Amino acid sequence: MNATRVLLQQHRQPMIRFLGKRTVPQKVDHTPHAHPASPTHSLPESFANYRQKAQQHGPLNPQQRTQYSTGRGAVGSHSGKSLGPVEPAKGEFFDRSELPERFRRLKWTMAEIEAVESGGASLYV
Amino acid sequence: MFKTLIPKATSRSLLRPVGQASSTFRPSTFYLVDRARRGYATEAEEKDLVIIGGGVAGYVAAIKAGQAGLKVACIEKRGALGGTCLNVGCIPSKSLLNNSHLYHTILHDTKNRGIEVGDVKLNLEQMMKAKETSVSGLTKGIEFLFKKNNVEYIRGTGAFADEHTVAVNLIDGGETSVRGKNIIIATGSEATPFPGLSIDEKRVVTSTGAIALKEVPKKMVVIGGGIIGLEMGSVWSRLGAEVTVVEFLGQIGGPGMDAEISKMTQKILQKQGMKFKLNTKVTKGDDSGDTIKISVEAAKGGKEETLDADVVLVAIGRRPYTAGLGVENIGIETDERGRLVIDQEYRTKLPHIRVIGDCTFGPMLAHKAEEEAVAAVEFITKNYGHVNYNAIPSVMYTHPEVAWVGQTEAEVKNSGVKYNVGSFPFSANSRAKTNLDTDGIVKFIADAETDRILGIHIVGPNAGEMIAEGTLALEYGASSEDVARTSHAHPTLA
Repeated sequence: MNATRVLLQQHRQPMIRFLGKRTVPQKVDHTPHAHPASPTHSLPESFANYRQKAQQHGPLNPQQRTQYSTGRGAVGSHSGKSLGPVEPAKGEFFDRSELPERFRRLKWTMAEIEAVESGGASLYV
Repeated sequence: MFKTLIPKATSRSLLRPVGQASSTFRPSTFYLVDRARRGYATEAEEKDLVIIGGGVAGYVAAIKAGQAGLKVACIEKRGALGGTCLNVGCIPSKSLLNNSHLYHTILHDTKNRGIEVGDVKLNLEQMMKAKETSVSGLTKGIEFLFKKNNVEYIRGTGAFADEHTVAVNLIDGGETSVRGKNIIIATGSEATPFPGLSIDEKRVVTSTGAIALKEVPKKMVVIGGGIIGLEMGSVWSRLGAEVTVVEFLGQIGGPGMDAEISKMTQKILQKQGMKFKLNTKVTKGDDSGDTIKISVEAAKGGKEETLDADVVLVAIGRRPYTAGLGVENIGIETDERGRLVIDQEYRTKLPHIRVIGDCTFGPMLAHKAEEEAVAAVEFITKNYGHVNYNAIPSVMYTHPEVAWVGQTEAEVKNSGVKYNVGSFPFSANSRAKTNLDTDGIVKFIADAETDRILGIHIVGPNAGEMIAEGTLALEYGASSEDVARTSHAHPTLA
């Protein structure tokens, strides 16, 4: 029995092994981290700042929790259905002012009003 | 309100003053500002992916993205695809290295092989033509692949107009712009100039000029004993130039080459006629006379010496090339060495703009850029990509070639890991013996406890081909015994 054990111990286990069919990992962390070849092994603050700023009106911002946000910075981690209806509830209305600035109504400027009234002539005066 | 009243397709023409031909229309500042403010559609075409740079990183990304079904545009300013590598780098230099080696062999190494050769003459013009034929064949091949994979090739200089728009100054005149949902910056690198020497690519040259000299210089000084300096130094040394390499560090081949391998390579190249001045710095250069005078002294200070040269090759390294790209317009940052800062998915702080290749982190190698191109496109299309930066091989195409992958012995020692070193000389290899080409060794560095390979270093004939096996072994996490027990054909150099 001891001899068998010794033989088993001597049996060579190669380190090269077939790892199976390559698949995309089920969980991939997409939050920005330092690039593996980065000499400083760190990302500038601007990455986080930009992300924060770019998402200030969106559901990714934990400070801006709404009924539609997960509050955990993972909007894609839940199905749209589970987030509830997009339509407002009965008797509830969305106000345009609640939208990000780029979706809001632009005010007419005096120059623009004049341009329309003069058929464009004021642009060349 | 206004937008809803006018159908989208006609809104721009309706807003133009009536009775004026569009070609003579000169919009006022107010008009332009206001159009932008109201967010009317611009004339730029929207692509899924816009790639700035048609070098190895850029064209691989473009073809890969085209194959994945994306609408792709690739902007290149050179007028030929392939970037530095294909046009003025790896490919033309390999043509010259191969042909100059043949010339040198025929000239000096035929008698003992039993071949009697008559008059051997160098036809440099023809050697250069052979190089150009190889280059043009390959660049046209990429253009064909672009067409095949529906990649739009825009010949011009691209600069960021805004976060999604790249304005292009076309080579053939005129301007255009292209919008991209995703943008990849792959603008590559350029030779670092040497302060005090102005590059004219004729007498004071970078690698670009060194592959296009009109005649063999009598004396050549190479500033920088890295891979580029040694390869181009080898070419002109074989063709008859007296080559002196001045290197600031104490070893040739750059800091990535294993010290033992570097010493051995230096000895072999010295035997071939190249001269080396290590631990030496160039203090100044004077190109006003018939010959160029290069003043050098010991790196730690010492007696000054002057070297005379007909041609000086500046090969002190390369730096990222992002000039004129307009990254400052969109707030993308560079580090202290001019590299564009990215995260693990090649994204800049603007997540839809990615950077790959020489203009960002990592070694400036064409095959590294290719891997990144594939990974970056996979991140866009599949949300997942991968490059193993620990298993990227390096090759120096001198004769014998030098190739390595993984860690050097000094790096392993510094990491504190207990390790074993095994080496085998080509002088004991049957194929090398029959080839009468026995200079060099193979050196394995493995973890002392697990036998896992940590680094493989080869100096010898065909080292560049053989390192592929080492890279695969490292990628798989093989032990040195795994490689030893794998059957290798006899007689080969492997």
